[in-house]
Amino acid sequence: MSTPETQKPEEIRVGVFVCHCGLNIAGTVDVHAVADYAKTIPNVVFVKENRYTCADPGQEEIRKAIKEQKLNRVVVAACSPRMHEPTFRRTVAEAGLNSFLYEMANIREFASWCHQNNPVEATERAKDAVRMAVAKVRLMQPLQTIEVPVTNKALIIGGGIAGMNAALDLADQGFKVYMLENTQSIGGHMAALDKTFPTLDCSICIEGPKMVDCARHPNITIFASSELVKVDGYIGNFKVKIRKNPRYVIPEKCTGCGECKDVCPIEYPNEWDMNLGTRKAISVPFDQTVPLIYSINKDYCIECFKCTEVCGERQAIDFNQKPEEVDIDVGAIIVSTGFDVYEPYDMPLLGYGKYPNVITSMEFERLILAAGPTGGKVIRQSDGKKPHSVAFIQCVGSRDKNKYPYCSNFCCMYTLKHVVQLKEKYKEDVEVYVFYMDIRSPGKGYEEFYDRARERGVNFIRGRVSRIDEDPVTHNLTVHSEDSLLGQPIEIEADMVVLATAAIPKKGSADIARILNLSRDANGFFMEAHPKLKPMDAPTDGVFYAGACAGLKDIPFSVSQGSGAASRAATVISKPTWKIEPIISVIDEAKCKSCGVCVDKCPYGAIRLEKPKPAQIITASCHGCGTCVAECPQHAITQMHFTDAQIMAQIRSALEDKPEEKILAILCNWCSYAGADLAGISRFEYPASVRAIRVMCSGRVNREFILEALRLGAGMVLVGACHLPFDCHYISGNYKMKARTDALKNMLTKLGMSPERFRVEYVSAAEGIHYAEVIKEIDAHMKALGKEKIQAENAKLKPILENMLKRKQQ
Amino acid sequence: MPLKTVKKDAADYLTLEWVLHVKNYKLTLDKTRCVGCQICSLACPKEAIKTQKQPKTQGEKAKRAKVDIDLAKCNFCGICDVTCPYGAIKVALNGSNDLPLLAKETYPQICRDIKVDTRQCDKECTECETACPLSLITVTRTGYDGKPVENLQALTPSQKKRVQINLNIQKEYCPTCRVCEFKCSPGAIKVKKAIEGITTINQEKCPEGCTDCLDVCPITGALVLGEDKKVHVNQLFCDYCGACKNVCPVDEALTVKRTSIHHTPVHSGTWNKALERLTSTADAAKELKIQADQNRRKAVAKRFVLEEKIK
Ligand SMILES: Cc1cc2nc3c(=O)[nH]c(=O)nc-3n(C[C@H](O)[C@H](O)[C@H](O)COP(=O)(O)OP(=O)(O)OC[C@H]3O[C@@H](n4cnc5c(N)ncnc54)[C@H](O)[C@@H]3O)c2cc1C
Ligand code: SF4
Ligand code: SF4
Repeated sequence: MSTPETQKPEEIRVGVFVCHCGLNIAGTVDVHAVADYAKTIPNVVFVKENRYTCADPGQEEIRKAIKEQKLNRVVVAACSPRMHEPTFRRTVAEAGLNSFLYEMANIREFASWCHQNNPVEATERAKDAVRMAVAKVRLMQPLQTIEVPVTNKALIIGGGIAGMNAALDLADQGFKVYMLENTQSIGGHMAALDKTFPTLDCSICIEGPKMVDCARHPNITIFASSELVKVDGYIGNFKVKIRKNPRYVIPEKCTGCGECKDVCPIEYPNEWDMNLGTRKAISVPFDQTVPLIYSINKDYCIECFKCTEVCGERQAIDFNQKPEEVDIDVGAIIVSTGFDVYEPYDMPLLGYGKYPNVITSMEFERLILAAGPTGGKVIRQSDGKKPHSVAFIQCVGSRDKNKYPYCSNFCCMYTLKHVVQLKEKYKEDVEVYVFYMDIRSPGKGYEEFYDRARERGVNFIRGRVSRIDEDPVTHNLTVHSEDSLLGQPIEIEADMVVLATAAIPKKGSADIARILNLSRDANGFFMEAHPKLKPMDAPTDGVFYAGACAGLKDIPFSVSQGSGAASRAATVISKPTWKIEPIISVIDEAKCKSCGVCVDKCPYGAIRLEKPKPAQIITASCHGCGTCVAECPQHAITQMHFTDAQIMAQIRSALEDKPEEKILAILCNWCSYAGADLAGISRFEYPASVRAIRVMCSGRVNREFILEALRLGAGMVLVGACHLPFDCHYISGNYKMKARTDALKNMLTKLGMSPERFRVEYVSAAEGIHYAEVIKEIDAHMKALGKEKIQAENAKLKPILENMLKRKQQ
Repeated sequence: MPLKTVKKDAADYLTLEWVLHVKNYKLTLDKTRCVGCQICSLACPKEAIKTQKQPKTQGEKAKRAKVDIDLAKCNFCGICDVTCPYGAIKVALNGSNDLPLLAKETYPQICRDIKVDTRQCDKECTECETACPLSLITVTRTGYDGKPVENLQALTPSQKKRVQINLNIQKEYCPTCRVCEFKCSPGAIKVKKAIEGITTINQEKCPEGCTDCLDVCPITGALVLGEDKKVHVNQLFCDYCGACKNVCPVDEALTVKRTSIHHTPVHSGTWNKALERLTSTADAAKELKIQADQNRRKAVAKRFVLEEKIK
């Protein structure tokens, strides 16, 4: 539609297609009456009924009518737009009409299916739905899908086993990959493990080659000892700033010979060894470090320069190295930052940190490792002797309402690994006890591994440990628990206790979340765009997850996710350009006063403001929730396809007739509208007094929508949203809406409106029954208040509201 | 796991520990030997050691400054152990005092150059034993039969002649003050000071009746009360440790300037910095220059030999 603006406004020609959906609609709604009514609506020039509009002949009718009748707007009165909106968009486009010049009237889920016992009112509601759709479609404008160029490179944050797999997969497909690791070596937790369950293969032997592959791959650049500073841009076009922290050794010059380490006089506790062993002030954390570059820890170095001396002509050591910032461009980002291990200092009854022979599983892992600080000897700290009885305690911190309520996923299995290793190493010489709540072994070969542990004569005791005591002289321990299978208290003497502590969100996750605009769940792990259908997609487009950072996973699962995330990232970076839905927000620069409110409220950080210039929306980062539109005090922002004018037109149309008997509902697309659809699909009956308007997010709901509805005399007003705190499809639109509507409701009540007349309800896509109940309740309240009271309240409110709305319009 | 660290501050000692699974680093400060001087805090490369002036109660003698070590900063390198003139600090790994610092020549040993020629000793003399302000010397006698001599008087003159005198000096605690040397009339002991320098007191600045420096000085005779009721320095005995400086209440009244330190040869940045802090930039530069000159001379000599050979 390329009517130049200078020409007189085009004549609006709307075609309405009323669908029978077999008997699904026609069985309840009087479709002929709806069609006849449609003909009376202004601008409607063509009306057609179809048995199945979505079937090919039905679509053909639309295409034909567009051409023959010169239709420039189309309304399909049929099922939910959540069902067939994309279908009809295509249909319209095929006939040469812009696909955004069409609107759906939902007369199936929202009329015939939910008012089956009330055909008369169902028909009325269907007519209103068509009228509202026409009111909106009249004001619709053609929109063009936006295409942005794509940088075909990727960034991987976190070089654990998940991140490495993602990097290798992408690099093998020919993409340039940058790998960011904030420690001195890639490898993650797996590089610190001895063996891996259930096959007991040596961890570094299987991971080491992959680490080396990453270092050698021509398409992979590793930034170790580096951190993420800033990410700007959007899918396909991220601008990333990385800070390389000084290691006081020049990577290009260091040959990894280690001669410096030999002359260095200073040792300090090695974090990689869980501080059980030491490393030199100039060293690598472990022998297989990748990239193999030495680092000086200036906290401990005494600057004797012996290392510089021995390094000699290689001149790899530079004590004046400074942090260096690097800018890179990538098209997709994979977050694989893994997890941390909980250190139970705050559980004094277990004595960790107090009793020398109480250790964590991660520490046990370092003790039993041949290359570890004890050379693979499991010995006690108190006397350096081998323990003859070891008690393993499960779920320390995990599955604990006061600490970490979730299951840490891999502790049962690694404890089975530890007990099998211990039994196979020391045989009859060691007695092993495992205190557990449940043994969870659902993976391939895992249950068989559990059997192997039982066959080795390990004592499994079901019960939560209440306390550990220590004999101050021998440093032997007594574990107090209850045996919940026998229902008796039990006490076990042990020379050593190993705590399987919870795996917890990685330190620094909050920073990563802030920089990339990710959300985190109640436990602090990253949240997926959809936990089931998009388990590797972040809510920010172009960002993906792999491994334990988005919920705990063992190695096989982390590896699969690495490959999965690589493949998801490739869907973006393998394309020269990326298409973006044009349902985004646009700022009217003339109206913008650069106050910055929108910048704060946008859940995606999609708005940039450089005062005193007007704010700018980064098109490709905008997800089209419309929160900013509702927040902007200057009314300077418009959301395409959901403009104020369009929604106001729908409201006015909905309340044309007997407004005081109507419930005006504004529903968000992802939860409450879907919940309402489900009520229809499930054939839950509810009163037909409701008139629903769809917005993408409840964050879009302007105060003016409510004010206008009440000014027009609406009986009741409902705003439907996703559940707090985490269900919002746009991260936090529901919170922004809540803050706004709480204040509004307060004001309206003070002005004399009965509080029950304006309601905010949280309905999930699965809560059809809840939606039906809510409407029933509101309808009952409306009836209880009575038409007279409502009209009286409205009469009082109207002049005030008119005044407020007039002021806003200026 | 955060590092397990232990700090104990008892009446007689202060200990710091890193407890690792199979390694134990331990620093012990023997408070009975510590005199509250400046040396360790200046030598420490990590600035982990602080000396705190102790409050003075009216009418009592001044108290020596208290040495405190910050566990978060200490990395158990052992520099304080090696440098302390009084041997008051010991650093050990798993109980052994063999410091990698010395083995790897990152720090020199401070020379306690004490030569004793007991042939010159008067057989009955124990002057040095009583003179040593730190009681580090014991004099023993061995008879012609190799047995310790109990009663010198009981011996015949010829037996007496054959008596051997042994001086047992606990060198590791000796600050080389030279008091014994001067008290020894036959001149049997020769001590070379480990630290050279100059301590001065500007008596005009001293408050009336103040003897704080004298109160804390560990070396009898290094500071003396003059007839003017002011404290004067005896450079002969002063070991330049600076314990006095730590307690002096007036800024410009007392200065301790160390100019050189006798040590085993070493080539190390740590030492250069420690030396600079212990002496002064100029004095440290002097040592470096001498070293460089020596190196140059050696290089030239080597070249010379090489050229000769080629010829
Ligand atoms: C004691 C113990 C024993 C285990 N035994 C087994 C076993 O036998 N078999 C098994 O299958 N699983 C085992 N697991 C689980 C296994 O460790 C995890 O499944 C695996 O490590 C997850 O890999 P990942 O890459 O997601 O995370 P990680 O291994 O945690 O790697 C994350 C990486 O990201 C880096 N990183 C983090 N934050 C940032 C940042 N902000 N910037 C840059 N880089 C960052 C980290 O430094 C690290 O290198 C065990 C776990 C524990 C605790
Ligand atoms: S300068 Fe520092 S890192 Fe280098 S050898 Fe000396 S103590 Fe070790
Ligand atoms: S608030 Fe929503 S609509 Fe506005 S710019 Fe951000 S994502 Fe887009």
